Amino acid sequence: MKRYTLYLFSLIAFSLTACQQEVALEEDSCCTKPLAADALPDGTSSLAIPTSALTDMSLYQLESDWHNERGEELKLREFQGKVRLVAMIYTHCGYACPRIVADLKRIEMGLEQYKQDDIGIVLVTMDPARDTPERLFEFAKSNNLDPQRWTLLTSEQDNIRELAALLNMKYKVELDGEISHSNIISVLNVNGEIIHQAEGLGVEPDETVNAIKSLLLRI
Amino acid sequence: MRRLLTILLMLGACSIAQAQKGTPADMVHVKGGTFVPLYGSNNQAVAVQGFQMDKYPVTNAQYEAFVAEYPKWRKSDVKALFADAGYLKHWGSELGVGSNADKLKDSPVINVSWFAAKAYCECQGKRLPTVNEWEFAALASETKKDASSEPSFYQRSLDWYSQPNPKYLPPVQNTFKNYYGLYGMIGLVWEWTSDFNSALIVGESRQNASLDRQLFCGAGSTGASDVKNYVAFMRYAFRSSLKANYTVANLGFRCAQDVPAKTTAKK
Repeated sequence: MKRYTLYLFSLIAFSLTACQQEVALEEDSCCTKPLAADALPDGTSSLAIPTSALTDMSLYQLESDWHNERGEELKLREFQGKVRLVAMIYTHCGYACPRIVADLKRIEMGLEQYKQDDIGIVLVTMDPARDTPERLFEFAKSNNLDPQRWTLLTSEQDNIRELAALLNMKYKVELDGEISHSNIISVLNVNGEIIHQAEGLGVEPDETVNAIKSLLLRI
Repeated sequence: MRRLLTILLMLGACSIAQAQKGTPADMVHVKGGTFVPLYGSNNQAVAVQGFQMDKYPVTNAQYEAFVAEYPKWRKSDVKALFADAGYLKHWGSELGVGSNADKLKDSPVINVSWFAAKAYCECQGKRLPTVNEWEFAALASETKKDASSEPSFYQRSLDWYSQPNPKYLPPVQNTFKNYYGLYGMIGLVWEWTSDFNSALIVGESRQNASLDRQLFCGAGSTGASDVKNYVAFMRYAFRSSLKANYTVANLGFRCAQDVPAKTTAKK
């Protein structure tokens, strides 16, 4: 009987705490998000974030937090000020993604006369679970992507889906872990507005190169 | 021994109360399960975790309260990136429906973009349902969880599709109520989903398989699981035609939520 009493007591205690506890409300991820602190994780002061107002169609209005291949946290508005080529990939992809990277390199070759500072290329993963910053770093290295020019980004799935929506990208994780996705290379101007998009693989780079050249002429 | 029974009864009552507290009054609990989506799973069943879903689509009155609180979602303040020019075009004023308020306040809000719908749900501590969650919940008839084998169930959608949009959408309460207690899943408005841009039904993918390979990694996501199911195909095709800042006169939304984690775990 003694054992029972102990058992009963623990049950009572358990049921009381269970009853008292309120269902924890989920953290409000709403519109009132505070701005990120200015300091970078490594203790250095923040990168100079351009303060010019973002235009109505600027993708950089997204407030989400991202990590680059070096594990540094950043906001998309830090990409302001340079013409950017943007594409979405995942590094376990065996077919289309290497070709997207190859297409981007072909475009890069067509822009050889420009300085590295003029153009940035951004690859965004669709597979944040597997594409950690380390994995992206390895991918960049094995594909000889010049870190001066190329940035690889990951974030939470929701943030990636939101950016994909703005880039008109569709993607879907299949049951086997492959990702079906459209292949789009987007050109963003210095304000982060989409100026040109090329859809498909192995598209002739000329149009995209010309779109970038016309942007750079205007700077 | 009788004492033990009493305690156990109390405990039972308590856990029932807990379960009810877990689902807010304006939502229903949709028990998890598996289903074969019409599109995109190669006829394989996918699992849907249990979740909570709003009983009704969000109404004009609810959306008025939202824009009152968050001015950035007012008609004149919203950025073109996040909503096109048709945003809330059925509203007479900046802050609400206006003169048609008596007819429309309990009707579903329409002409809202994906970004607006997403922000609304996040501000309620909720989120948009996924395509799979929405489709899973929409398989229910009045009496059955899964009415996918009943032709009469599809007829409801077909009848709806064949009607032009009414001038004034009916109040959300006056609509078809399904097994879960969800109103208006069929026959009222189309609804946004969080991953609406996961359906790869673009023009190119409909043509032939080799082109698929050109456009998509992991290809093979084409081919509906039940070609007779024109009804759901319409939904997938419609979703794939949307962009995130589009606003459409018969497209609204409702919110969903994960089932709160067991409360006994930690304080």
